[in-house]
Amino acid sequence: MVTFANGIHPKGCKELSGDQAIGRGPDPQFLYVPLTQHIGAPAQPAVGAGERVKRGQLIARAAEGLSANVYSPVSGTVQGVVQHITQSGKKRDHILIENDFSDESVSLPPLGEITGGSVLSRIAEAGIVGMGGAAFPTAAKLNTGEKKVDVLVVNGAECEPYITCDYRIMLEYAPEIVKGVRFAMLACGAERAVIGIEDNKPDAIRTMSGAAEGNVSVKRLKTKYPQGAEKQLVYSCVKRVIPEGKLPADAGVVVVNVHTALAIYKAVAENTPCYERVMTVSGKGAERPCNIWVKNGTPYRDLAEFCGGSEDCARIVAGGPMMGDPVFSLKVCTGKGSSSLLFLSESECESKSASVCIGCGRCVAACPMGLSPVFIERALFDKNYEEAKWYGAESCIGCGCCSYVCPAKRFLVQSVKLAKKTIKEKGL
Amino acid sequence: MAEIKNYKVAISPHKLDSDTTRRLMLDVIIALLPCLVCGVLFFGLYALLLVVICTATCFVSEQIYNLLRKKPLTFDLSAVVTGLILGLNLPARAPWYIPIVGGVIAIIFVKMFFGGLGKNFANPAATARVFLLLAYGSVMAKYIGADISGNFLADGTTSATYLGGGVSALAGNFFGVRGYWGNVLQLFFGYVGGCIGETCVPAILAGGAYLIARRVIDWRIPLVYLLTAAFMTLVCFQSAGEILLQLFSGGLMFGAFFMATDYATSPKWKINRILFAFGLGVLTVLIRRFGSFPEGVSLAILFMNLLVPVMDRYLVPVRFGQQTKSGRPKPQIMKWLMRGLCVAMALVLAIAVPVMAPAEWREYKNSRTEVEIPASYEYVRSFSLDAFGNFYFDTEDSLQVPGGQEVKFTIGIGTDYLVSDIVPEEQSDRYTAELSLFLHKSYSQISGLQGDLNTGATVVNTSLKNMILECYKVINDSGYANRNYPVRDAYAYVDSHARAGFGGEEIFGVSSTITIREGVQQDLKFIVRLADGKVSSVLPVEQSGRWQASLALFLGKTYAEVAAISDLQAPGAGADGVVSATKTNTALKNMILECFLASDLNADAYTVGSAEYVQAAGASALFGGVSFLAGGEAYLAEYDYRQPLAFYINLAEDRVANIIPITQSTVGFTAELSFFLGKTRAEIFALTDLGTGDATSSATRMNTALKGMILECFDLLENFAGGDAQ
Repeated sequence: MVTFANGIHPKGCKELSGDQAIGRGPDPQFLYVPLTQHIGAPAQPAVGAGERVKRGQLIARAAEGLSANVYSPVSGTVQGVVQHITQSGKKRDHILIENDFSDESVSLPPLGEITGGSVLSRIAEAGIVGMGGAAFPTAAKLNTGEKKVDVLVVNGAECEPYITCDYRIMLEYAPEIVKGVRFAMLACGAERAVIGIEDNKPDAIRTMSGAAEGNVSVKRLKTKYPQGAEKQLVYSCVKRVIPEGKLPADAGVVVVNVHTALAIYKAVAENTPCYERVMTVSGKGAERPCNIWVKNGTPYRDLAEFCGGSEDCARIVAGGPMMGDPVFSLKVCTGKGSSSLLFLSESECESKSASVCIGCGRCVAACPMGLSPVFIERALFDKNYEEAKWYGAESCIGCGCCSYVCPAKRFLVQSVKLAKKTIKEKGL
Repeated sequence: MAEIKNYKVAISPHKLDSDTTRRLMLDVIIALLPCLVCGVLFFGLYALLLVVICTATCFVSEQIYNLLRKKPLTFDLSAVVTGLILGLNLPARAPWYIPIVGGVIAIIFVKMFFGGLGKNFANPAATARVFLLLAYGSVMAKYIGADISGNFLADGTTSATYLGGGVSALAGNFFGVRGYWGNVLQLFFGYVGGCIGETCVPAILAGGAYLIARRVIDWRIPLVYLLTAAFMTLVCFQSAGEILLQLFSGGLMFGAFFMATDYATSPKWKINRILFAFGLGVLTVLIRRFGSFPEGVSLAILFMNLLVPVMDRYLVPVRFGQQTKSGRPKPQIMKWLMRGLCVAMALVLAIAVPVMAPAEWREYKNSRTEVEIPASYEYVRSFSLDAFGNFYFDTEDSLQVPGGQEVKFTIGIGTDYLVSDIVPEEQSDRYTAELSLFLHKSYSQISGLQGDLNTGATVVNTSLKNMILECYKVINDSGYANRNYPVRDAYAYVDSHARAGFGGEEIFGVSSTITIREGVQQDLKFIVRLADGKVSSVLPVEQSGRWQASLALFLGKTYAEVAAISDLQAPGAGADGVVSATKTNTALKNMILECFLASDLNADAYTVGSAEYVQAAGASALFGGVSFLAGGEAYLAEYDYRQPLAFYINLAEDRVANIIPITQSTVGFTAELSFFLGKTRAEIFALTDLGTGDATSSATRMNTALKGMILECFDLLENFAGGDAQ
């Protein structure tokens, strides 16, 4: 089995929610739909206070440059554009919609002839962004311009522990995903597609293999974190190395997530824009771990009420336990890139304090990018950014393997990320 | 829904590996335990004391340093690991201050002065060991052999290791496996001189396997280190057979698994670790082969430690997707270089060893080392040793028969000192020697041959006997048959007992304490030598300056003659001096008599299994029959005192021939020997009334104990009926 070098083997913990079929999520009364659910410029509001909207109606238009459309996830009344707290801790513009629970909906107009160009513009129109977590506007990704792309790599690895939303999608929407993959291939001009799935999900591999045929194939990947990281996934699936500082397109590859492929299918074949997604709510601090359709703009508190948080919840994480952000407020709302919300109990995330580095080199052995976190950290403390650059700080993908393995529990990934940021700021 | 509150906000990753620094150190401690246990089994409890002192010194000195620097105390167990490793690196009989000096050097000077855990540039244990080697050279090079069967192998000698003394430091016989494989097994199981923890390879491998399985250490370092050492041994020693001997001797195994893998002082990148281990292997063998120190592991580790910062700075991993300036993928030169190096070394070993080993083995089996004959002899013309330690002699003699007859024999004596081969090279066709008289016999059996020689070829048999006895003499004179005898608990005076060859001198260290007058005690120590059944020399080691023993009284006398000396007055001494020197002489007489008894018990010793009283038994030259040394005690109820007892008991013709008390009551409850002398087992078994008329029950108990001992001697005698002389 081809896999990338180094990496780690954290416990999967996917059994908590893996058997839960995708159900409907909460239907909150108030939704704060963020205008920045994606990388790039915030979308421009297209509706005003007091205006009545239907489900699937455009409420914010993509700005110039890198941006994405935003659609209303419910029918109701717009209360206005408000400042609301986001996961990063900063206040950003949200469109506050009061749900009227009548669930009236509108669709996008039928597409007509399906060509690469029409699919690409439909993807842009539907506001689809990368749904693996990074939320990069998909249309921009698929539109590689002059770079020739021959392979579309589809990310079904789902290497973060706990998260099972992609797994459930692959089980329940396999034909739709394959069709979505074919639309994406059309849009980017790829000749074949490889769907990479970790071998801890054998039934997903079986189901997807049954649905895939012809130039769409399924690749069984070793269960190892971070198998789903873009560069590692491309190497594992097609044995191509993406050069440092370059995009996958430079290696003739485009990577999309299985959930993104499903969204593309919905936008092209069912004329449904992107306004909701499947999320995993899991962890031993949640009473009923589940996989549910969650409308963009749902406050975390509604998810917590829906799944029943328990008392010994010690930490709440948006995203996976390896790279996910800690949640400091349940007022924060979900977006297109929110893959999971974890309620971790004390036993799942004992916090430890850092002690001195013993120089064991485990971080070097674990780094999937071949960096030396121990020396980057020492260089950072010496304010020797040249040295940090020499040890490869710029190439950090922030996967957290170094911090995971460190027996001294040092905050290595933060150090490396800080070194990377400083190098960029200083323009070294 | 329960209210979610009191949750914490912490940075990612939210899941961490369960290994902590302390857990890793604990794993190393666990992995060192087999070595410690084997070290204590082999070298005794003093070795454990040394390791404990060393560990305690390391731990305490780290905390003292922390207190002085006003830093928090550290309980990460790293000092314990350093202490254990250094302690296991000490010779088993190092003085108590050695681990203290070493521990302070390791922790304070090497570790804490450079910033503590993880910041030292050199391995603390290896540095401290090298310091001790340089500063206390004679003490640190003093090894003792493993103490398994009660016998130290060459106690206190400086050349007891294979690296220091070569093959002669090995026994050439490991529980019946002889020659090369005997040496290999002896080294493998650690039945040799060396440091406390480094000799027993199975224990080291068990610990190393545990660490590798737990992923505490990188398997590359020990594996490549050993591979390189094997390869370099092949190259530097030009020998395939030497590989296993080098790998299993000295501190190589221990160093490879426990010292070279030290976190702070080994490279962080796995490919650099291969280079590091390669350098270690090269340096170790070069030092061993060409350096002036017999052992090179610590020095090699120390030197390679110095290179680690440079390696870590300039040889860094090729990043995933890293490009050269011209935009091509950067080649992983180091990775392929190191892989190629390992494969090349493994290939050379895989090809060269099967080619070289059989030829070496043939040569090894046939090789005879000529030994210079220490003096000129009547019959022996040449003397050689084979690779397994067997002795070979060419002998010749001119027989005084009508017409004269030249005889020549090649005589082989095995490592068990039994005659193994007799090859007649030249003798009369008519009067041929009766070889079966001599084959598989011991020295004492052959020297006792008298009438058996009359087979019709008496002259040639007699000549052969003399030749064989001279062969043993050559072995004696060359020092190959020196032997230490076990010292039994029941001896009252004998502290050590050694033999300088077959039928040669026996050397005893004896001691006792006499009371010169009320409150004045005098320790006595003598070295007594016995040769040909007589006292050949008595050397005073410790006695009074004023009332000295009269050595002339004893010199040249046999057991019976010494026993018969009644006038022990020191000639020409003053009034008080007469009395005191008499006491010295009396004590010396008793000591010498005990030397005779100890000699008698060991000359043709039988194997005594587990017995309640009997500690030794053997065919007696002094009295004939079989003699026993029995020890025990009698509980004297009146005094609530356990009186230790020891008797020399001689049985001949199924009767008790002699009983010589060695230790018994000195306050009047002596055993009544006449109850037992001259009686058979059945008669003694039937004895019920052991009271001695006037005496109290204490004497009765003494007699009862003696009765039990005698009965056990009779029981053992039946076992010896088969005649399994050692």
